[in-house]
Amino acid sequence: MDSRSLKRFGISVLAGLGLALGIAALLLLTRSAQTPEDFDRLSNITLVLNVGGIALLLVLLFGNMIRLVRDLREKAPGARLKGRMVVMFIGLAILPLVLVYYFSVQFINRGIDSWFDVRIESGLAEALDLSKSVLDLQKRSNLDATETMALDLFGFPERSLQRELTSKRIELGASELTVFSSSRRIIATSTGGSFEAVPAPIENEVLLRTRHGDPYVYFDPLKFEVRTAARISSSQTGMPDRILRASFPVPAQVAQRAAAVGATYTNYQQLEYLREPLKRTLLLTLTVILLVSLLAAIYGAFFFSRRLVAPIQQLVAGTRAVAAGDFDTRLPMPSRDEIGFLVNSFNDMTRRLAIARETARHSQSLVESERRYLEIILARLSSGVISLEHDLEIRTTNQSASAILGVDLDASVGLRLPDVARGKNLLEQFVDVVQVHLATGEDEWREQIVLRAESGRRVLTCACSVLPSEGEHAGYVIVFDDITALLQAQRDAAWGEVARRLAHEIKNPLTPIQLSAERLRRKYLGNMRTAEAEVLDRATHTIVQQVESMKSMVNAFSEYARAPDLHLGRVDLNQIVHEVAELYRTREAELAIDVDTDPAMPEVSADVGRLRQILHNLLRNAVEAIDETPRGHIAVETRSRREGGAQIATVRVRDNGPGFRDGDTEQIFDPYVTSKPKGTGLGLAIVKKLVEEHAGAISARNHPDGGAEIELELPVDEASREQMLAKQPRSQSRSLVQRRVQA
Amino acid sequence: MSRKIDLAAAYSGRWATIACLLAALLLGSDARAQNDKPGVFEVRSAEAYLDGGQYTLDARVQFILSSQALAALDNGLPLNFVTEIEVIESRRFWVDDTIESHDVRFQLQYHALSQRYLIRNLGSGEQESFATLYSALNNLGRVVDVPIIEESRLRDNRRYRVRVRSAMNFQDFSGPLRVVFFWLDDWHLRSDWFTWTLDR
Repeated sequence: MDSRSLKRFGISVLAGLGLALGIAALLLLTRSAQTPEDFDRLSNITLVLNVGGIALLLVLLFGNMIRLVRDLREKAPGARLKGRMVVMFIGLAILPLVLVYYFSVQFINRGIDSWFDVRIESGLAEALDLSKSVLDLQKRSNLDATETMALDLFGFPERSLQRELTSKRIELGASELTVFSSSRRIIATSTGGSFEAVPAPIENEVLLRTRHGDPYVYFDPLKFEVRTAARISSSQTGMPDRILRASFPVPAQVAQRAAAVGATYTNYQQLEYLREPLKRTLLLTLTVILLVSLLAAIYGAFFFSRRLVAPIQQLVAGTRAVAAGDFDTRLPMPSRDEIGFLVNSFNDMTRRLAIARETARHSQSLVESERRYLEIILARLSSGVISLEHDLEIRTTNQSASAILGVDLDASVGLRLPDVARGKNLLEQFVDVVQVHLATGEDEWREQIVLRAESGRRVLTCACSVLPSEGEHAGYVIVFDDITALLQAQRDAAWGEVARRLAHEIKNPLTPIQLSAERLRRKYLGNMRTAEAEVLDRATHTIVQQVESMKSMVNAFSEYARAPDLHLGRVDLNQIVHEVAELYRTREAELAIDVDTDPAMPEVSADVGRLRQILHNLLRNAVEAIDETPRGHIAVETRSRREGGAQIATVRVRDNGPGFRDGDTEQIFDPYVTSKPKGTGLGLAIVKKLVEEHAGAISARNHPDGGAEIELELPVDEASREQMLAKQPRSQSRSLVQRRVQA
Repeated sequence: MSRKIDLAAAYSGRWATIACLLAALLLGSDARAQNDKPGVFEVRSAEAYLDGGQYTLDARVQFILSSQALAALDNGLPLNFVTEIEVIESRRFWVDDTIESHDVRFQLQYHALSQRYLIRNLGSGEQESFATLYSALNNLGRVVDVPIIEESRLRDNRRYRVRVRSAMNFQDFSGPLRVVFFWLDDWHLRSDWFTWTLDR
């Protein structure tokens, strides 16, 4: 429970307490009317409690009202529902309350009025009058008797007055007879009760009335006596008058009934007099009760609508949160009713959503890792892979594809393949082939493509298939391999086989042929005539010469085919280049050979003999190429560079001869491919073989300024050798080379 | 059509009645009080004298009843009178201390049968009847020989004040009338305090 709900709970408790106190106070008010004790205190308490309760309720109501109006204005969730419920509850509470109030007011008015019947009132008044007249009769007779006695006592001597009074008292049935002087002195008295009883002093009223001779008579309501008084005129002028006061008992029956009538009348009159205030008071009390009930009902309306709407508000807030993507929203369970069920369902739903999202995330990450896995495989794959959309937009490529086609395709993902290919030689040729196939509606095809590169031909095997797709327009995936090196290796292997066969099959019969020819010559040349001998001499000479030539050819072949082990050692490349160049310089005096060596060239790990052979072959090749060129010129340069961790030594040999025929740049390394009239056509083939044995690379191209240029790259050390081997994944001869190196 | 209007009129009439009733309830007592002649209670004179080691009070109080009270009396309602007497010790640096207080209570009622006014001492239960209201109130206003404090309880070097006031109320009613007077608080009448220093 957070502080806010705690506060609300507190307020509710306060409100309940206030209400209970108010009701208790009202009950107390009605109860205390019957008990006289402590009424003042209680009434004050009840008043304070009531006023306090009403004030508390009013404050709470005001706060609630303000909050409701604010919520309605801000269009808070559930505010309208709450407002409607409040109005409904208030309507439900007010109608019966007002009805009860209305009828209660009617009943109070009529009921109280009905107590005060005119007939009862007049009856009571008449009863009182009757009692009065009964008393009046006695009063008059008593007064008459008193006045008569006063006349009798006129001039009565003071000393016998006491006796006279006693006899008169017994005669008249009076309870007391007293004669006062004008100065209030008791002259004589006679009382019926005890003799010792002293009569009460004469009242001022009696003096006043009797002084003027007025009759004096009254009914004493305290002693139930009729009191009379009369003046006894003085016998002598100048002497003060005396006063006779008498008390006559009223018969008990008359007295009690008259008193009862009087009391009843008084009570009735009191009630009659208090009728209006009573009514007003009851109405006021009723109104206060009504107000308290009404306020309590209204507060209850607010309270219960809030209680009812609160889970709905929470539901709305929760739904918004879920809509915003927050599935962790859990609503508190309000109760076990239908709303509780709803909240429970909501919680269940959000939990399931959260689980579903978690599952989706999990599978997404699975897919992601799968994709990464595939990507890694694709990247490591030596085959180039390009997947295309239906409109030839590039979706994915791998590194090998970029490497084979010589274009960074990774940067071009999302572009159309033909757009990317524009201006890029290899890719353009590749795309042309692909487009031709796709244009004819051929989806699944396989073809070997020959691409013309600047440094020779590239042969690709290419396979295309349609990607599985739900849509109408599926994409394609094209997988291709650079098999140039493979083909080359196959060719090399074939040539090696041919060379070995040739060496074996041809060399054997050559010696007997030569020997036979020489024996023919020796045996018959001297014995023949000049003309015939000349023919024989020419023929045998030709045979021997040709056999000699064939032998040298077969030797060259066998050299090509042989595969002795490499003997690697640290070699100063620059020095060897200088030595070989010097050799040619001295041999061909008119030849210009420029040697430009890299001073930073490290020692190269290589077989010295083979390195010399390579350089010999290259230089001889160059020398032969410029044989017919005036001002022939050869440039040899060495460079060392570092490429991706591999230290590479480069030797470049350039001449200013006629150069290669177009497209020959790759095939010139094949045996028997030569642009020269002389030569076995094996020179460059052997060079290439030797370079590859060193895990190096060789390439030939026509220099833009004319002439041929051959460049060979050699790894400087073992680590570089490994790296260079790794960089030539397409080279099928690599394994062959490696095997030999290891052997 | 006309029926509807009648209904509406009847409705509004009823509500108006209730509204008027409520208004009258809330304002009625004020309106009535303005037309009435107010009552006046005043302590005219008072003195305390030493009588055999006991200070005794004599006082004269004037009671003029309001027309409301008179009407109530005429209708048989008893009126309660109380005269309060207090002896206060003045203290220099402290709140004054009321060391003694007395209430003298009387009830005045009209007796319809005898047409006389009855005064009852609520303390002793003694009763007296008077032919006129004037003589009754006169008698009521004469406070004589009321012992207030023994001299021995007063300390030397201290100043003592005595104060007297009279009041009337309806609080001793019983039954539903009690509730009535609970709401009609303006019926209470009370004089100011009459204060003097005790001579020693």
